[in-house]
Amino acid sequence: MKADEILSIVDKHEGDRGGLISIFEDIQAKYSYLPAEALKVVADATGRSPVDLYAVATFYKSFSLKPRGKHLCSVCMGTACHVRGAPVIGGEFARQLKVTPGETTPDKEFTLETVNCLGACALGPIVVVDGHYFSKVDSARVKQIIKKTRDGLDEAEIKADRRVYLLTVSCSRCNHSLMDPDHPIDGSPSIRVTASSGREHGWIRLSSLYGSFTVESEFGIRTDTIVDFFCPHCHAELKGASACPLCRAPMISMIVRAGGIVQICSRRGCKGHMLDLNGSGF
Amino acid sequence: MITLVINGLEVSVEEGTTLLEAAQFYGFPIPTLCHMEGLSPYGACRLCVVEIGEGPKAKLVSSCTYPAQEGLRVRTASSRVLQARKMILELMLASCPQSKTIQDLASAYGVRQQRFRQEYEDCILCGLCVRMCEEQMMAKAIGFRGRGQTRSIGTPFDIKSDVCRLCGGCIYVCPACQLRCTYTEPEKAICGGCANLSPPCVEKDPFDDMMCYMEPCVACEIDKN
Amino acid sequence: MERLRSIEELKALQARLQTDRDPSIPTIVISAGTCGQASGANDLIRVTKRELLNKGLTDRIRLRITGCHGFCEAEPSVLIEPRGTFYPRVGVQEMAQIVEAVAQDQVLKDLLFVDPATGKAVERQGDISFFKAQVRTILARNEKVDPIRVYNYIENGGYSALVRALETGDSKWVVEEVKASGLRGRGGAGFPTGLKWEFLAAQRNGRGKFLVCNADEGDPGAYMDRSVLEGNPHSIIEGMLIGGYATGANEGVVYVRNEYPLAIKHLMIALRQCHELGLLGQDILGTGFSFDIRLVRGAGAFVCGEETALIRSIEGKMGEPRQRPPFPVQKGIEGKPTAINNVESWANIPVIITEGAREFAKVGTKGNTGTKIFSLVGKVRNTGLVEVPMGITIEKVVTDIGGGPSGKAKIKAVQTGGPSGGCIPAERFDLPIDYDSLTEAGSIMGSGGMIVMDENTCMVDVAKYFMNFLKDESCGKCYTCRKGIQRMHEILEDVSNGKGTLDQLDVLEELAVVVQDTTMCGLGQTASNPVLSTLRYFRREYFEHVEKHRCPAGVCKELVTYSINENCTGCAACVRVCPEKAIAGEKKKRHVIDTSECIKCGACKTVCKFDAIDVA
Repeated sequence: MKADEILSIVDKHEGDRGGLISIFEDIQAKYSYLPAEALKVVADATGRSPVDLYAVATFYKSFSLKPRGKHLCSVCMGTACHVRGAPVIGGEFARQLKVTPGETTPDKEFTLETVNCLGACALGPIVVVDGHYFSKVDSARVKQIIKKTRDGLDEAEIKADRRVYLLTVSCSRCNHSLMDPDHPIDGSPSIRVTASSGREHGWIRLSSLYGSFTVESEFGIRTDTIVDFFCPHCHAELKGASACPLCRAPMISMIVRAGGIVQICSRRGCKGHMLDLNGSGF
Repeated sequence: MITLVINGLEVSVEEGTTLLEAAQFYGFPIPTLCHMEGLSPYGACRLCVVEIGEGPKAKLVSSCTYPAQEGLRVRTASSRVLQARKMILELMLASCPQSKTIQDLASAYGVRQQRFRQEYEDCILCGLCVRMCEEQMMAKAIGFRGRGQTRSIGTPFDIKSDVCRLCGGCIYVCPACQLRCTYTEPEKAICGGCANLSPPCVEKDPFDDMMCYMEPCVACEIDKN
Repeated sequence: MERLRSIEELKALQARLQTDRDPSIPTIVISAGTCGQASGANDLIRVTKRELLNKGLTDRIRLRITGCHGFCEAEPSVLIEPRGTFYPRVGVQEMAQIVEAVAQDQVLKDLLFVDPATGKAVERQGDISFFKAQVRTILARNEKVDPIRVYNYIENGGYSALVRALETGDSKWVVEEVKASGLRGRGGAGFPTGLKWEFLAAQRNGRGKFLVCNADEGDPGAYMDRSVLEGNPHSIIEGMLIGGYATGANEGVVYVRNEYPLAIKHLMIALRQCHELGLLGQDILGTGFSFDIRLVRGAGAFVCGEETALIRSIEGKMGEPRQRPPFPVQKGIEGKPTAINNVESWANIPVIITEGAREFAKVGTKGNTGTKIFSLVGKVRNTGLVEVPMGITIEKVVTDIGGGPSGKAKIKAVQTGGPSGGCIPAERFDLPIDYDSLTEAGSIMGSGGMIVMDENTCMVDVAKYFMNFLKDESCGKCYTCRKGIQRMHEILEDVSNGKGTLDQLDVLEELAVVVQDTTMCGLGQTASNPVLSTLRYFRREYFEHVEKHRCPAGVCKELVTYSINENCTGCAACVRVCPEKAIAGEKKKRHVIDTSECIKCGACKTVCKFDAIDVA
């Protein structure tokens, strides 16, 4: 933990006066919990008493003062889920992971939690792992969910998945194709554009499969940096009109051959993307 | 000035007066554990409830936090009020049976039974110590933590506070653990709330500078005078 | 997106969008709220896009991704406009077929919804009994708009209510209109919204006033606010803008539960779009009216749904309620006058202004106007969000819309109002659903959760569940709330373990009344409702537990034993799921449960297809 990281979070929320909860949420998003030193930094920076900060940190259930695991597994204990057997599901998770709710496994992989209602009551019992919803869970599926999480929930099975498909794109200004069949990524022609970040400048190749985030580039790009994209033919910047719905960085827009536009986030590592088959994107 | 009716007596008080202050000023006794002159009103112990309003809209409110309002009709000892106080005292006895203050109140209000599972908590979270520390001692070393059944009073992370001057004010105001200094068991020396402060009589060196409110101390029998 | 500088520019944009629209082009509408996404709607969206691209149909078929339509039981569902064809529980394979069928203007009969009562397939959404009996003023708009596209909202008449209010130039008229509509707060207490606004408008404060949208929907079992916020965030923003204009407030706050990530995301996008369009900020549409809205996330505390606790939480403090008076409308956020309304109340404001107070008040009954959304969940066949006129009977909602019990067991009660509400028994289902009738029956309207319970639900267990919920969620300040709820839970635990006594039941009732009487905020004052209402209507069940040590519903673990009856075919399904390996038996022969090993988890009963597990 670095003090300046915490300070930059505090600065970010200086505008919204009562932003303590937002500050804590951002710190927790970064470190998975609220480290004691972080609370101290926040206290010094905001001029608030450590007693008040500790009170807020312990009052709200979503804050944790202990480090949490890589995966957060929340079992819904709302009324509708309770009536449909949520306590059994919670018990089964506790048995499989060998922890009680609120605890983290010794290998720091899983943190098990119960939440009061996730608002998907018609589909109960509900379990949410790292933002992925599992509905109508029964005790037999608990093992599967844990295994799937260990394998990686975000991994798309590029080869076999019927949901993944190829996009053929062109520059939104000169309409020149951006496809590069000579350098395939994920077994399909890649999309080649020019990128610049700071002083670095060079080509970058993106997977043309919608759903894959594989990227190759001439120079290394650090996660979280915003990159400017240009058409390699007319050298126009490929900037879209809107901002990324996830991180507010500018979107890169390209024309889809079969119709519509595709927009991807210009921030390295962000998965914000939009495929608009008709309409302006607003 | 505001005119209101307390137990049938028409009285006038200044604006901003609470019902508790008004009633006490005019001589109607109302028991309370979390109220103290010089500290801000809090409304946690609920013993000071009084009945206001008429008919189906009559309700109980805590007199220490409710402001006097024009034309309000207040009853400080209706049967509904007394029944509520009895139940509150019974709940307190069930959790903090060793407090002399609570025992006396329970006796005064005719509580003759305790029908819950006995607990020994020694803290009713009235918050007097918290307010004393912040408002009178200007320290803010202790505060509330958590919520619901896990709510407690103490310092952040349960470590000795930098700003605590060991003044003992928290012990002085506590209605639940006073007169319960147990010298040999320091963790029980003060009410659950302040348990993480170093109790003044444990370390002998700073003891000379301390004010001890338990004279003579029932446990260590040190007579300072 | 270009900033709109005047009302005329907004109208011109709206006119252009509406002319560009060709309603004859078929549109595939995929409902992708949280429920939809949890059921696989995201996969459907990608398959649809893939098919449209591969087959070159992007000009001939439109795709719209919307929030929740309400029929959660049928998720992921697909609606085809303009025919109104409804496909429930669509799989990835079937989606490709549907796209093909839409291209040829055909209907896939095999995939249609089958009415369980008649066994017949129903094509149009409007003909399905679940939708037919509803009056979907708010929810129907979820189908029409893509929540992350503001142009979509404007095209569907969005922000014209704001225009209408601004054009009158008379803020008093707006307040009067809301008053005349008879709208009462949809958060549960039912305070007239217009009156609240009038109070706020009358407050003089040079430092500014606040409007708050309370989206801290903490009642377990209620999720209509999530659905509206996810599906139509601009309607909330428009409602708040109108409120700001009417009351002279200059700042708005939307307080959303952290458990609703999709709602937060959609609202964030919507707020950004409004800033870009100039619908929020200084000098809105060139009228000189300024109003801004920010989003505050909650952090997991049920009590923050209470007004004064909500204010503390917005200020970044512990969410402890405080004594009222002073009311928030006098002293709210940062000491400034503040009016707090619930999500659904805000969503109703544009409707009132567009249609007029008189039209609005025609729906519902006198004193309870308009529609109310309920989340109908639990042991009922058609679970989902239902929007009905106020004053409709419980019977109609549970039987006509809900389609009756989900299993064989008879329905015995509905629980309304979450932890602050109570259970209403089946013999009182003729009760009209309005604020006053429900309160009289010992429950409350609450935010609109309606959990149906059947003979397999134990009322002692229900009361215990809510006390367990509240003992963690109470802020802990009032002694009677914190300790009283703990003690009620303790007694209920004894009763459900078969250790309760008749004396304890008396103490329970006595304590429940005192807790109701002596606590400060709404949480404590209503905390006893689950106990008092079950004691009032289901006292017999309590007696069974205490006197006969029997749980009639077979729920209370300590009082039941599991056994296998002669229906058992020896399929070994239960053997595989039993976590304690307490079930033994040869294949194709009746199995036996070792009761000394059995932990009564119920896993065997869930998997048994032959009704062979007895719980008694």
